[in-house]
Amino acid sequence: MTGNLRTAAIWLLAVTVLAAGAVAAEYSSSLKAGKADLKSAGALAFGPEGILFVGDTAGAAIFALDTGDRKAGAAGAVDIKGINEKVAALLGAAADQVMINDMVVNPISRKTYLSVSRGRGPDATPVILRVDGSGKIEEVALENVKHSRVSLPNSPDAAAKDARGQNRRQEAITDLAFVDGRVFVAGLSNEEFASNLRSIPFPFQDADRGASIEIFHGAHGRFETNAPIRTFVPYQIKKEAHILAAYTCTPLVKLSVASLKPGSKVAGTTIAELGNRNRPLDMIVYSKGGVDYILMNNSSRGVMKLSTEKIDTYQAITSQTEVTGVPYETIAELKDVQQLDLFDKANAMILVRSGAGSLDLKTVALP
Amino acid sequence: MSRVVVFLLLVAVLCPVRQAPAAEPAIRLEGGVFKLEGLPSPAGDGQWRERFLVYVDQPGVPPLLGSWRVENGSVVFQPRYPLQAGVRYRAEFRPPAGGAPLIRVFDLPPETVAPSTRVAHVFPSTDLLPENQLKLYLHFSAPMSRGEVWRRLRLLDEAGAVVQSPFLELEEELWDREAKRLTVLFDPGRIKRGLVPHNDVGPSIQEGRRYTLLIDSNWLDANGRPLVAEHRKTFRVGASDREPPTLGSWKLSTPSAGAVSPLVAEFPEPMEHALLHRLIRVLDARGHELDGEIGVDRQETRWRFTPARPWEAGGYQLLVGTILEDLAGNKIDRPFDVDVFERVQDRIRPETKSLPFTVRAGR
Repeated sequence: MTGNLRTAAIWLLAVTVLAAGAVAAEYSSSLKAGKADLKSAGALAFGPEGILFVGDTAGAAIFALDTGDRKAGAAGAVDIKGINEKVAALLGAAADQVMINDMVVNPISRKTYLSVSRGRGPDATPVILRVDGSGKIEEVALENVKHSRVSLPNSPDAAAKDARGQNRRQEAITDLAFVDGRVFVAGLSNEEFASNLRSIPFPFQDADRGASIEIFHGAHGRFETNAPIRTFVPYQIKKEAHILAAYTCTPLVKLSVASLKPGSKVAGTTIAELGNRNRPLDMIVYSKGGVDYILMNNSSRGVMKLSTEKIDTYQAITSQTEVTGVPYETIAELKDVQQLDLFDKANAMILVRSGAGSLDLKTVALP
Repeated sequence: MSRVVVFLLLVAVLCPVRQAPAAEPAIRLEGGVFKLEGLPSPAGDGQWRERFLVYVDQPGVPPLLGSWRVENGSVVFQPRYPLQAGVRYRAEFRPPAGGAPLIRVFDLPPETVAPSTRVAHVFPSTDLLPENQLKLYLHFSAPMSRGEVWRRLRLLDEAGAVVQSPFLELEEELWDREAKRLTVLFDPGRIKRGLVPHNDVGPSIQEGRRYTLLIDSNWLDANGRPLVAEHRKTFRVGASDREPPTLGSWKLSTPSAGAVSPLVAEFPEPMEHALLHRLIRVLDARGHELDGEIGVDRQETRWRFTPARPWEAGGYQLLVGTILEDLAGNKIDRPFDVDVFERVQDRIRPETKSLPFTVRAGR
């Protein structure tokens, strides 16, 4: 699936690595050993110190797991054919009974992490796996791991039960990112159609729950809707933290992180529209030749590369054409990319469909 | 491995002991664990993770995760996760002395249980949808499998041709916790005015036309079984609805005190099924929420609340969450897509609207 994280901009990686050395105890000391009782494992994102954030849609929670994976790893090409079949076999299951929900790369060790469901029904078992450059796959033990958990804040309306005492509302967590000491969470309700991006301070504290609901408005043309954000990536524009958010209805919107006050409504600026019959899946930011680019994989329009050169001055889109806003090019040689993350300065890690039901995990040069 | 152990193994193989018929190593599958038997005094050290391995029987895959123990003279491999019906497993013992490994294949038969899951209901119930219809709810009689929906759900036009990409094909799939109800969103980019998808390819369903939603019977339930039968819902499409619902247009029928007869709210248009169950509450004059049962009928144009205890005379109110939607996603007093010249800077607050009513003394 897709989903998600979209690891971050290079500035964030730098901050992360520095933080790991300078304030090593700041984050990991907040995590307690014990069983991380995930009900599901979906969207993933790396924070500082090798801490992996896991979106648990079924449990309506975000977990922070201490992977202990803090040893700098060497970059090197990775090419693992049929990773989904290998994962299924490792878990003793048929390939069609295992789903890879998200993929991220630990920016310190360069090992790849997968969130997986073993089974397809509501009782599917969540599994987190780690893949090294040689193709070795191991399980991240959840029985006894340093971790913390925060419930997704719910409004009273969202918690209301129906006449049979049931609450069938559930919020699919579609993306996560760690920015400036906060975990940003994009979600999509299975009932009301609304945009909410939450920001949860990390380390998690119970007292922070419920105070962090934020709603964005992406303006496109004359009309706007508070639509759900599908995927997003942190990005710095003129030394100010921003989020570039891709909506379920295709606009790409920039939002200032400073404006995202708890409980506020924020107007975003639409900087691109990415065409019809298409869904943005993942985004990464990288630098090449002194210019920053956004790389985005899509459900039906391949992988797009957008230059950020004029992103700070770009005016909101006000007219409608097929290609509007920030110009982009489609990378022809990258097709059927299901998951995308930054691997190192020169390469991306992709999970790519390679044949009937088969997925390959491999590094590709950043275009 | 020590020479002594190798020697003992050789002795075990070459010099079978009388009254010890299990001298030949053998692999059995019993109670979900694999047992390697017939080894003389296997040691409980870490060697077995190299020597006794179980695979899903296909080339180029790693062995199953699991743990090893020595129990009653047998080496036991306990898979980390339960074995699955319909999967072929291959267990291998690689003798420390070398030579051909002992291989045993276990072909677990697939479960053959007759299909029993069916589509219980599709909401909205009405067969007239606005062109900007936002959502569909598919209710199933039993939990379903994820990863199937976008192959199993199709929209057909009047000629029976498949409509291309009418829905927002989210990989996450918006199920409820039990995986018995799926929320399907029409592609919002094709609904919203001003967006490229809306302007280029138009709405997924078009006014004046007739469509059929087809739920394929090959959609697997959570036990991997297909549905009992396919399900079709045919509907007509009317004009787009861009008028937000207002509480002022609701007709309330209030009961008399002393009765447990329902409070009834009737709407001039169908409302969204799931939100009707969640977002309307009844409060008494002191602001306490009443217990009771909610029913929705007449194609989601009527909401009924039957209290757990008889009504008392006095003032009450219906408290309605303003995120309650009509079929087109218009919320109370707020249309689905808004002109941006409207200010959007107000703060979020719990947004409810109140509809007061009075229960009069019974006659």
